[in-house]
Amino acid sequence: METIKNYLEAMFAGMPDTPEVRRAKAELLQMMEDKYNELINEGQSENTAVGTVISEFGNLEDLAEDLGLTKEVQELQETEAAHPRRQISRDESEAFITNRIKKALFLALGIMMCITSVSCPILFAEAGDTAVLAGPALMFVFIGLGVGFIVYSSFVDGEWKFIRKQLCFIDMNTASYVKDRRRNFESVRAICVTLGVILCVVCWVPCMLFATTSRVTIGPAIMFLLVGIGVFLIVYANNTTKGFDLLLRLNAVKTISGNYGEPPAPAPKYRSKAAETIVLVYWPAVTSIYLIVSFLTFQWGITWIIWPIAAVAHRAVVINCQAYDD
Amino acid sequence: MIEISSDVIRGYNDTMILFILEKEPSYGYEISKQIKNISDGKYLIKETTLYSAFTRMEKNGHIESFTSEQDPEGNGKKRTYYRITDAGKEYYKTKCDEWGLTKEVVERFIEH
Repeated sequence: METIKNYLEAMFAGMPDTPEVRRAKAELLQMMEDKYNELINEGQSENTAVGTVISEFGNLEDLAEDLGLTKEVQELQETEAAHPRRQISRDESEAFITNRIKKALFLALGIMMCITSVSCPILFAEAGDTAVLAGPALMFVFIGLGVGFIVYSSFVDGEWKFIRKQLCFIDMNTASYVKDRRRNFESVRAICVTLGVILCVVCWVPCMLFATTSRVTIGPAIMFLLVGIGVFLIVYANNTTKGFDLLLRLNAVKTISGNYGEPPAPAPKYRSKAAETIVLVYWPAVTSIYLIVSFLTFQWGITWIIWPIAAVAHRAVVINCQAYDD
Repeated sequence: MIEISSDVIRGYNDTMILFILEKEPSYGYEISKQIKNISDGKYLIKETTLYSAFTRMEKNGHIESFTSEQDPEGNGKKRTYYRITDAGKEYYKTKCDEWGLTKEVVERFIEH
């Protein structure tokens, strides 16, 4: 049955993506499936059944004519001929994905280093004299390494830059391979994102735990470490998934094959440019306020309160800034 | 083995489909199977031809499609069924008369 599905997909790949064509494809698949099942029930081998079904299927040009799509089909064929697409083979997709995972890892690691760098000055904040300088020094080492990783991550997929610039396409087999990989990764992604979010949500708990001890600053230091790990997991998972989606969306959008991937989630809409800016700078602003207040007051045992408050306030800010369609 | 030329039979695919639908509503594969059985396996209608005929006849108002959650055997499979309309019944009669005439005329030129 898989062969029949692939055959039909390949036949329809270049057809315009309209409700009529989708319906035709679904109906034809149903008829083929019925026929296939009956042949199997009659005792035919799978190969013979597939052969019979495909040989009796007919051709798509007649169908395009009857659906009144001759013009569209021709136009699509002409544009494709004028701007030939480069095919990304299955092997290339595999290489691309391996590369993408590496890129995602370095990017996530870089961001994690930048976030955890803040822990250094906090940890050494209460150390005496010269040791106090070790904090900022270590922080810059972390940031340096982090930025290095981020820059490196953008070079990792250098040889694949053409995918964004040139028109490319993948065939049905490659698409289902990529889809399989994406599906297998989905559970990893779910775990990473869930863990990541949990880490970010509970990050202030160590602050609370160490608030009454003599080493108050350990709390915030651990907090940034937790956030760093959380963000690492989220960035790694999402960036890898983006790689799969990039491949799946290579085909011409107007054709049936343009929909091997899932449609991109709509970006949230904001009331105004100002509202969008507020949402964008919210967490960096809260982080800055937290650090400034904490370093000025040295009340590490109390200042972590900013986090749970900010988390609640964030929801209100987002609701007020987003525009909703009725 | 001689095969029916698709050009000749093209004008009568609609007639065959209407003949089957006049008895009871049916769906794609079932209709193609009946065409095969009634013609003793001498005519196999291709899936694309059949589907083209469905869309054309639906546009012309000769048949209507509807979705059924169950097939006659009670299996829970969602399918598109087709039923004949009054206009379709009229059209079927016209086609029958037309064929009578066509057959009569062509017959006179055939050597047996």
